[in-house]
Amino acid sequence: MSAWWQQLPLARRSGAVLLVLILVAALLAPSLAPDAVSQDLERVLLAPSLEQPLGTDHLGRNMLARLTHALQLSFSLALLSVISAAIIGISLGLLAAWRGGVIEAVLTSIADAVMTLPVLLVVLLFSAFAQGEFWSLYIGLSFALWVEYFRVSRATIKATLVSAPVESARMLGFGNFYLLRRHLLPELAPVVGTLMLFGISTAILALAALGFVGVGLRPPTPELGVMMIELFPYYEEAPWLIASPVVTLGLIMLALALLGGRKEMP
Amino acid sequence: MIKVLSHLLLRRCLQAVLVALLVSTVSFFLMHSLSGDLAFRIAAGRYGYDMVTAAAAEAVRVELGLDRPLLQGLILWWQQLLQFDLGDSYLSSAPVIEEIREQFGHTLQLALSALVLSVVIALPIGLIAGLNPHGWLDRVSLTLSIILRAFPPFLLGILLILLLSSKLGITNAANASHEHGGLFLPALTLALSLAAVSSRVARDAMVEVRRSAYFNFARTKGLSDLLALLRHGIRNAAVPVIAYLGVQLVFLMEGVIIIESLFAWPGIGHALAHAVFGRDIPMIQGTAIVMGLLFVLCNTLVDIACMLADPRQRYLASRRADA
Amino acid sequence: MFLCPIHRQPLSIAVAMLSLALLIAMPLMAATDSTKTSLSIVGPWEVSTLEPSRAGYLFLRMQVAEALISTDLEGKPSPGLAERWQVSADGLDWRFFLRPQARFHDGSPVTAASVVMNLQRALSQPGVLSMAPVTGIIAAAPGEVSITLSKPYAMLPMLLAHSSAIILAPAAYNDKGHVRKMLGSGPYQLVRQTLPQQLELALSPHWQGKQPAIKQIHYLSASRPETRALIAESHQADLVFGFDPASMQRLRNNPKVVVKEADLARTITLKLNSGHRFLNNAETRQALSLAINRAGIAKGILRTPELAADQLLPPGIAQWHQTGAGFPKLHTDLERAKALLSAQGWQPGPDGILQRNGERFALKLNAFPDRPELPIIATALQEQFRKLGIEIKVIITNSSEIPLGHRTGTLEMGLVPRNFALVPDPFVALNQDFKTGGGDWGAMQWQNSQVPALLEKIASDTDPDAQARYRHDIILTLQQELPVIPISWYRLPVAVHPQLKGVKVDPLEQSYYISDMYWSSK
Repeated sequence: MSAWWQQLPLARRSGAVLLVLILVAALLAPSLAPDAVSQDLERVLLAPSLEQPLGTDHLGRNMLARLTHALQLSFSLALLSVISAAIIGISLGLLAAWRGGVIEAVLTSIADAVMTLPVLLVVLLFSAFAQGEFWSLYIGLSFALWVEYFRVSRATIKATLVSAPVESARMLGFGNFYLLRRHLLPELAPVVGTLMLFGISTAILALAALGFVGVGLRPPTPELGVMMIELFPYYEEAPWLIASPVVTLGLIMLALALLGGRKEMP
Repeated sequence: MIKVLSHLLLRRCLQAVLVALLVSTVSFFLMHSLSGDLAFRIAAGRYGYDMVTAAAAEAVRVELGLDRPLLQGLILWWQQLLQFDLGDSYLSSAPVIEEIREQFGHTLQLALSALVLSVVIALPIGLIAGLNPHGWLDRVSLTLSIILRAFPPFLLGILLILLLSSKLGITNAANASHEHGGLFLPALTLALSLAAVSSRVARDAMVEVRRSAYFNFARTKGLSDLLALLRHGIRNAAVPVIAYLGVQLVFLMEGVIIIESLFAWPGIGHALAHAVFGRDIPMIQGTAIVMGLLFVLCNTLVDIACMLADPRQRYLASRRADA
Repeated sequence: MFLCPIHRQPLSIAVAMLSLALLIAMPLMAATDSTKTSLSIVGPWEVSTLEPSRAGYLFLRMQVAEALISTDLEGKPSPGLAERWQVSADGLDWRFFLRPQARFHDGSPVTAASVVMNLQRALSQPGVLSMAPVTGIIAAAPGEVSITLSKPYAMLPMLLAHSSAIILAPAAYNDKGHVRKMLGSGPYQLVRQTLPQQLELALSPHWQGKQPAIKQIHYLSASRPETRALIAESHQADLVFGFDPASMQRLRNNPKVVVKEADLARTITLKLNSGHRFLNNAETRQALSLAINRAGIAKGILRTPELAADQLLPPGIAQWHQTGAGFPKLHTDLERAKALLSAQGWQPGPDGILQRNGERFALKLNAFPDRPELPIIATALQEQFRKLGIEIKVIITNSSEIPLGHRTGTLEMGLVPRNFALVPDPFVALNQDFKTGGGDWGAMQWQNSQVPALLEKIASDTDPDAQARYRHDIILTLQQELPVIPISWYRLPVAVHPQLKGVKVDPLEQSYYISDMYWSSK
């Protein structure tokens, strides 16, 4: 374990540490500051103090509680969409690679078309279905993200199916399920892992971006993008307020980018 | 070569048709899945909340024929698309295509300015960093590049607004008035995001150049570092950067959606967010189709450029086309 | 069609360079002096179309277009395109006499026929004119328009002052009947437009009235209030409308900006479904009102304590605002509220939410995000009602859900920023809201005959003292019955360049009175 850890490049290690810290904060802090809803209109825009570590927002709500609730929300929605996208993508990839023919042609064309559209555009389209609702963002994200898993799994499986070990396993009469478990999934796992990391970062970002522009989740939901737009007007009176969601989102992105290794495109 | 190219174009055309179909189908279902009453919603978008009344909604219902049966509506929807008719905006009643034409000019202006600005920023930094790899400038620019890449454009935009607008009073944050230099901040935001990567591309290219024989020859000829750079470095290092711009076009298209909304730049991305907000379905459909098609176009251009530039790519493309 | 691309700049590297150059050259664009004749305005209003029913209000305020009737700062009718008018003894026939020298911006004279065409169009479109029982609009004689009614309607001039009833030249319309060009008859004409963001106006050569000191106007729409505040602070515009509470705070402290404020005839109200089994008696509605911490909302959210609404209309609307010493004002008293509810048989359940006959006191509150403070106030109300023992589910949705929910009877509560100055006299909106059967934005399933009867009396009785008494009685009854609960008022803040003089802020938002403004060197 420690040897494996030592082997990792410094960037990845620091990314992992940073991410773990953020996640721990997201998981633990709500028990320290559970109330993200209660307002106190007499105590608005307070500066950080012992009692209110991140201050209070424009409605006198506890910023620490709101921030950590927002983190939980972002991560759970991102994880949910990425896992759904991976399951759907890999299943369809398997189907396409295994069956080939018309199914493959149709699936590949659809995937190509979705791939062409920017993730944000797809999510935006879907978010119009039910504005401000959790589920429309979830479906939009999953719909935008499944194609990558589809393409990768289809290509990998196609290549693996004709590889020597699989050929011989087939000749020995092993069933499809065995092949899948023993040969195909292990081939896929590392690639899918990396893809999921990027997927999570894309999802968190899209969520925040839409919230910020006003077409994502809605106030009073504690969400990073929503908080940014809510607190933006107070940048001069209470700069620490807008800073906390901005810095948090930046740190998440940085952690995921470091962990995921070099990305080719910005 | 011709075969490969035509194959590629055919494939991309198919993709374009699929994109249009996909978006328009989603839009159609979108229209018919709206919670609440469509006529009321459109009336709210058009006349504002002060004037939405049952009477206004009835007028809208009659004007737009919203009481049509579903199937008839679908067929009409498709027919219109086949005739390249994107319909009229629910909100402004102007033809969608005219609105998009106007907005697209603004988007193009923003995208190109961002691209140019990114080269202006990235090239010198990359070249100087590449001249002295692992030197302090190289390290600083690497760190900055990592941080900038982690920061999504809209976050960067907020930071820039906070820094520049409020502290320096340079330029106002959201302003379409060109006289007021409203272009600068959104372009700078996008440019910084682009430069985060292209500066590294330039740096790597410069390192290559420095290792090359002709550069060393120039040095041994007695040219100073600076002169050698000017004579041989810039041109050679610029090639990959310029080639990389094509890839960046794709990124730009995504970036404009949020950046335009953030800075209220009246381009196509802003229009899309606006349309989603106002449930202006013909505008959603129109802008999404246009953006999708642009994406296909950009990808095609990048493919062709790569193919022409690099024989290896040509080989790969031909294999991809056969697969 | 009516999109006129004006500065489509060449798309080249030059653009980026230009923007850089502008950036450097920009600060402190112009030093002002008394010879300056231009004015730049920034506001939140986007102009996505030239259609009078949708964007007419801006062209009316900018004095590009005129309606037959205008209003003064008190909201009384004054001459517009019609220099005078008269009504027959039975109140059914109205005559409007047009200003004889009036010309449209294309030079054509304003004729009775063109006025009739515009009014008939306004009648057929969503707007306010259809509220009057109009039976005919005809050109009775040259320069004379006659409107006949099926029954008397004293408010007709107010409806004619509305922005959807502005009069445009016949050449303004294309063959499909859409507005192609903005050709009004006011002092300023539209020179260029970049929809939806910019308008450029200049003094019209066809304007025959008093020559204004301001001759060129540039209007820019900026959607974010923070941005508008920055523009005002850096003097990049001379007249900037509308700020968010946080920016207001800053502007007030800035000596370089003059901020003027006017009470608007707009009130945030909580529209209640008075037919709902929880809300169908006045005591429950009073309890809700007593639980609302208006001072907290005004201070904490709107950042202006004076905006807490103790009655439906603000002090700026003097005719309707009640100042009598004995007038019972709305206030906060949580204990009294709890007592009222417990008298109704509501008892706290295990989770602190009131229960009656096994039913929890839970309601849905609809709000919409078009005004950024509404969702915030909705969540504040949610919290304040929770303290009373009522569970509120806040639904942030489209504004049209409220009139729709009113029609289908499914709405429970709605947060409404009601504009009582739809037409300059609040009577029209009040009548819409509280007439028998209620209104889309007003009372809902409210059983009351008093207020509708008083409203009818105002419309028919012309004695000013009697009218004042009726107004008092209406506001008092609404105060006790609370079919809608007033929460806070609004103010329109305007940041004015210190050297710009003659600025008047119209609480009814009918006009900016630009033609009365001038630059002074001090």
